[in-house]
Amino acid sequence: MIHHASTATNIAAPLGNEAKPGHGFLSLQGLSKRYSEFVAVDAVDLDVNQGEFVSLLGPSGCGKTTTLRMIAGLVQASGGRIVVAGRDLTAIPPFRRDMGLVFQSYALFPHMSVAGNIAFGLEMRGLSRSEISNRVTEAIALVRLEGRENRRPSELSGGQQQRVALARALVIRPSILLLDEPLSNLDAKLRDEMRTEIRDIQRRLGTTAIFVTHDQDEALTMSDRVVVMNHGRIEQTGTPEDLYERPRTPFVASFVGRTNRFSGTALGRSVKLGDTLVHSATEANGPADVMIRPHRITISTGSAAASGGQNTLSGIVRRMTYAGNLLQYDVLAGDLTFQVEEATLGSGRALAPGTTVTLSWSAQDTLVFEAKP
Amino acid sequence: MTASATHAALPEAPKLDGRALIVMLLLPITAVNLIGFILPVVNLAMISFMEVRSTGAMTGNWSFAKWQLVVTDPFYWELLWNSVRTSLTITLLTLLVSYPVALYLHRSSGMWRSILLVMVISPLLLSAVVRTYGWIAILSDRGLINNGLMALGFDGPLRLMFNLTGVVIGLTEILMPYMILALLAGFGKLDSRVEEAAATLGASPFRVFWRVVLPLSLPGIALGSLLTFVLAVSSFITPKLLGGGRVFLLATEVYDQAIVTLDWPLAATLSIIVLVVFGVALTIYSRVLKSLG
Ligand SMILES: Nc1ncnc2c1ncn2[C@@H]1O[C@H](COP(=O)(O)OP(=O)(O)OP(=O)(O)O)[C@@H](O)[C@H]1O
Ligand SMILES: [Mg+2]
Repeated sequence: MIHHASTATNIAAPLGNEAKPGHGFLSLQGLSKRYSEFVAVDAVDLDVNQGEFVSLLGPSGCGKTTTLRMIAGLVQASGGRIVVAGRDLTAIPPFRRDMGLVFQSYALFPHMSVAGNIAFGLEMRGLSRSEISNRVTEAIALVRLEGRENRRPSELSGGQQQRVALARALVIRPSILLLDEPLSNLDAKLRDEMRTEIRDIQRRLGTTAIFVTHDQDEALTMSDRVVVMNHGRIEQTGTPEDLYERPRTPFVASFVGRTNRFSGTALGRSVKLGDTLVHSATEANGPADVMIRPHRITISTGSAAASGGQNTLSGIVRRMTYAGNLLQYDVLAGDLTFQVEEATLGSGRALAPGTTVTLSWSAQDTLVFEAKP
Repeated sequence: MTASATHAALPEAPKLDGRALIVMLLLPITAVNLIGFILPVVNLAMISFMEVRSTGAMTGNWSFAKWQLVVTDPFYWELLWNSVRTSLTITLLTLLVSYPVALYLHRSSGMWRSILLVMVISPLLLSAVVRTYGWIAILSDRGLINNGLMALGFDGPLRLMFNLTGVVIGLTEILMPYMILALLAGFGKLDSRVEEAAATLGASPFRVFWRVVLPLSLPGIALGSLLTFVLAVSSFITPKLLGGGRVFLLATEVYDQAIVTLDWPLAATLSIIVLVVFGVALTIYSRVLKSLG
């Protein structure tokens, strides 16, 4: 009962709430895909709320596309179930699944105009001519392609084609919008624009969306929740903040955001890295992987005692790289090399190689993962 | 003094500008076309206007007699119509049987695709004469099909040879490899992703075929049809052997007039008419291509 009440108000409810296992609007239950011996997707469990924007993030070949194509019905699952709004879709062919898929290559119909492409799904649904024409006009306005209705896809730029693909998938008002790296063919500036645009449109329409990407920035900035995948398995599911601040595995810590990575020995709330002892906020023992985000380390020219952090080390700047918004330093402290990032403030302070510096960071920024035996 | 001046200028002389290079590169193919195609056609056109005795000897005088005969005698009009209609039928049948094969080939990959391709191409390694005799063995009154049918209690042989049916069956099979290869060449725009997109938008497999696959394979269909039609119009060995002298087509008539009756001017006139048919087919093809964009 309680659950039903909450799904009914889901669209208005704050996003980012994890659905109860097995009860999401979209629910993947032990979803697997094997290609003969090779396991491309391994028992994936995922629940997505209505109206939620969830990203699948992971390195190339980790099974993101395969998962998405199984949801769309283009790849037959070898095991597990796909349930949408309580209905088991696992054995339903793609043309009866009511999902909008945006392909990485866009896959527009080259022999149809922009309007023809967008109208296709509506024609398949047997809508009246006037209804189709209204909704096509609406969709074209939504993706700001007015005046280009009669162009062929080959006469459009990459960004425009991408928007046609988006409009074509959205106009059918799909139960779920699936996007497979739709931005990877665009240049950096257009990509940023399209990120915001896709997210705005998705919010406005309240569409449930699954977004595949290997770009962590894209995943963090766009999503309510991110699913990090590796080798066909889910490493961690959580809000962007969860993943960044509280990664559960070394893989997540290193894949989401940049890190300094060391191996050492954990002794309770501190870790021995060679000759250096650093403090952490979590309890761990034995061989461990240690990660510290470069921008969480403060670099200063003052003495060690003057720093406020719980970890202080002194070292020597070995290299300085100017990256516009950031200054990146390689600092040698004892036998460890730290990467440190500092926001440029326009004041022009850049520490030359050879400068003696103090590095400091708080104990909770030391991420410790007990090494698996 | 003058000698040394010319010497200094020499290294710059052999420079070729782009246009001269293009002309030079096009020269060989132009020569081959001129000698191998244009000149014979002009020669053929000239022969069609020559006077000839019934022995086959040409008098050396000009004459419109053969053109007059061809235009006024309804036999030749029927011949033309027969040729065009038969070739269109063969083209259509070849297309119908080749299209699924080509589509399947287009979608297969790896080793299997190579094997299939070899199977499609291998009939071309045999001469059409041999393949036609193969069909005779299958279609004749005592052939494979009729023996089979009679063993099943069918009475009397089915006339599958020495008529138009035999010619159509034989040529359809003989032209299939060309059609399949041309279809494959024209399937470039056919992309499985686009078909999948149509499916996710709610198109059943039948509608995916009708709205996406078929329209996108039209360039291949046009190319294959042109090629098959031209080959069908100009083929004479298979129609002669499988038609048994009872099927009258332009190409067989050209052969008869040139080799049997020795009426070269008439053969030349009919050949020019075949060329005109090709011209019309080519025009239609380019129109179709243009309308496909
Ligand atoms: N048809 C297939 N046959 C065999 N293996 C396949 C097939 N399709 C995918 N794979 C394998 O499955 C794995 C996952 O592929 P998938 O396309 O899902 O990766 P991905 O996470 O989308 O990667 P990318 O970021 O490069 O697109 C890959 O190792 C791939 O080689
Ligand atoms: Mg992929």
